Amino acid sequence: MNYRKLLLRNETALIVAIAVLSISIGLKSPEFYTISTLFDLFRSSFVQLIFALGVLVVIVSGGIDVSFPVVGIFSGYTAVVLMQRFEWDTNSLLIPIALSIGIGIFLGAINAIAIAGFGIPTLIATLGTSGIFRGILLTLIGSSFISNIPAGLDKFATADLIRLETEQGTLARLHVLIIPVAIITILVSLILNRTMFGRSIYALGGGVEATRRLGISVKRTQAKIYMFAGGLSGLAGILYVSLQRKANPNDLTGSELDIIAAVVLGGASIMGGYGTVFGTVLGVLLISLIKGNLILLGVSGSWQRAAVGALLLIGIIVQAVNESKRAKSRRVATNDEAGQ
Amino acid sequence: MNKNLAKFKTGLLADRKMTQLMAITGITFVFFSLVSRDIFFSSANFTSMAYQIPEIAILSIAVMLSMLTGGIDLSIVSISNAAALVAVWIMTSHMDDSGNAPLNWIVIACIAGIIVGLLAGAVNAILVASLNVTPILATLATMTLFNGIAIGLTDGVSISGLPEEFVRVGNGTFFGIPTPFVLMVGIGLAVGLLINRTTLGLKIFLVGTNRKAAQYSVMGDRKVIAWVYVISGLLSSFAGLIIASRTSSASPDFGSSYILLAIVIVVLGGINPNGGFGTVTGVILATTVLQMIASGFNALRFSQFFYLVSQGGVLIFVMILNVVLERRKVQRSIIRNLKS
Repeated sequence: MNYRKLLLRNETALIVAIAVLSISIGLKSPEFYTISTLFDLFRSSFVQLIFALGVLVVIVSGGIDVSFPVVGIFSGYTAVVLMQRFEWDTNSLLIPIALSIGIGIFLGAINAIAIAGFGIPTLIATLGTSGIFRGILLTLIGSSFISNIPAGLDKFATADLIRLETEQGTLARLHVLIIPVAIITILVSLILNRTMFGRSIYALGGGVEATRRLGISVKRTQAKIYMFAGGLSGLAGILYVSLQRKANPNDLTGSELDIIAAVVLGGASIMGGYGTVFGTVLGVLLISLIKGNLILLGVSGSWQRAAVGALLLIGIIVQAVNESKRAKSRRVATNDEAGQ
Repeated sequence: MNKNLAKFKTGLLADRKMTQLMAITGITFVFFSLVSRDIFFSSANFTSMAYQIPEIAILSIAVMLSMLTGGIDLSIVSISNAAALVAVWIMTSHMDDSGNAPLNWIVIACIAGIIVGLLAGAVNAILVASLNVTPILATLATMTLFNGIAIGLTDGVSISGLPEEFVRVGNGTFFGIPTPFVLMVGIGLAVGLLINRTTLGLKIFLVGTNRKAAQYSVMGDRKVIAWVYVISGLLSSFAGLIIASRTSSASPDFGSSYILLAIVIVVLGGINPNGGFGTVTGVILATTVLQMIASGFNALRFSQFFYLVSQGGVLIFVMILNVVLERRKVQRSIIRNLKS
């Protein structure tokens, strides 16, 4: 194993950043070092992570999706509304989740039609669809806050895997969601690395024309990508509703930046063709850590957004500098070859 | 007379997109005037439209400039809010109890706001032009950062109650025409002259049409891109000052929906998102169309969210139309070539 290469990897830098941040927060306020902080960090990362995995897939393919928070809340809210309208078994957990994923895939398919079918640039297409989805959600489906969500979803919010009584007498709880989220993360990683679909996503990000010449259908791959991302957003949306124990159609808007920031910090290249699931997990954890614990560092909570922006800026500058270095070394190598 | 007509035809009407847009403007105007004769077709409505159009038109012109080079500037709204906040902060801190501020401080405040816009544009320019970061990502990061800094400094609270002399600019008239509208026409003319009559403008189009060719012609493509983002920042600060003056307040959260709107306008205005083509007239006409739709919907008492749907819908529809027409054009020229 090449140790130098391992040290220079984005993931290593992220682990170092997370460690440095945790130590400095801990030095400032020792109450940070409790098991409940860790569990809370996980809990606040579940939804973000599932969104981020969808965004990762899109970014690896060379696109960008800004409609996913709207897709998420649309699916989650609509699933709850449908459950109440048709009075389906309220104790069921699977029905709303399946419904939400289905709606997410459907909305993803609309994105896919705009992007794969008509070849509209991804940012513009998803900006447009996010406006349409949000408008439809608020005018046709509902604009009011639902606090009595189906019992199954409500109960799920407090389903804990581990409950620990800490010394201070507070309860440290690890939510049961950690298992399915871990499974999904591993599944996405397997799909990206071990399946034909996954490899064609990377190929598409590397170069559209090259992918076409390889005999991969660009349109079909793109369509699958946006439907896959839509499904993940749908899942994230219903989990968000469940964990919040309320369905508010105005939620999640504006969260797209945090999640794109997490994915980019995780080392995914916005030009496409590169990105790892592990990096994304670390990126999400780093953002959650900062957003949740800025106050412990003695910084006012209103600086949260600036912190995320600064982090994102540092991340992309590092990426850009690395890229220009790589381009230079490539150029030098070609010159050497030419010299010989 | 005929010569003038020919000039007009080769000038404005030569472009199919422009004639299309003029037709759309006319149809929208006639439609809403017929449907809502007493509310839409009233001088009060047209005056209020003339006050609302300028700010979004100027922001859209800023987006247009970056799109002409094939990039995009998502940070315009954040920059305009930051500029407005700085100007407003200086003004209110030099205001006496009766709500008046010395004229020289108002001027200084406005200059400070413009400097903030230039600086923010320069940050974008450094990222995009010298570090070679993808414009979407760079401006996404700076958008979060500028907005975050504004929220951090103000704690997210808006500042209101500005000096009367300053507010009068945004709400007054200039020879019977609303002042913001006059300012917009002036800025539009200046930008139109810049892109059509100067070497920098020519270079902007060249970079947008073919970046590689621009690089090989050694005309300093990076410098051109840097200028575009600086000017975009400058225009955003103008828009920010006009908004502050019209609403007599400044807030870090103002106009978060403006970014979607600005992109819709620019695309509707016939600017090619891949760069290389666009006109200021197109942008201003497109702004007018969308403002008429907004006022018309308002007059017909449609929900404001429905306007969101129509914005997204217009964006997707225009993009699809462009793609389909473009395909047909290519196909026709192929058929013509095959025949000959």
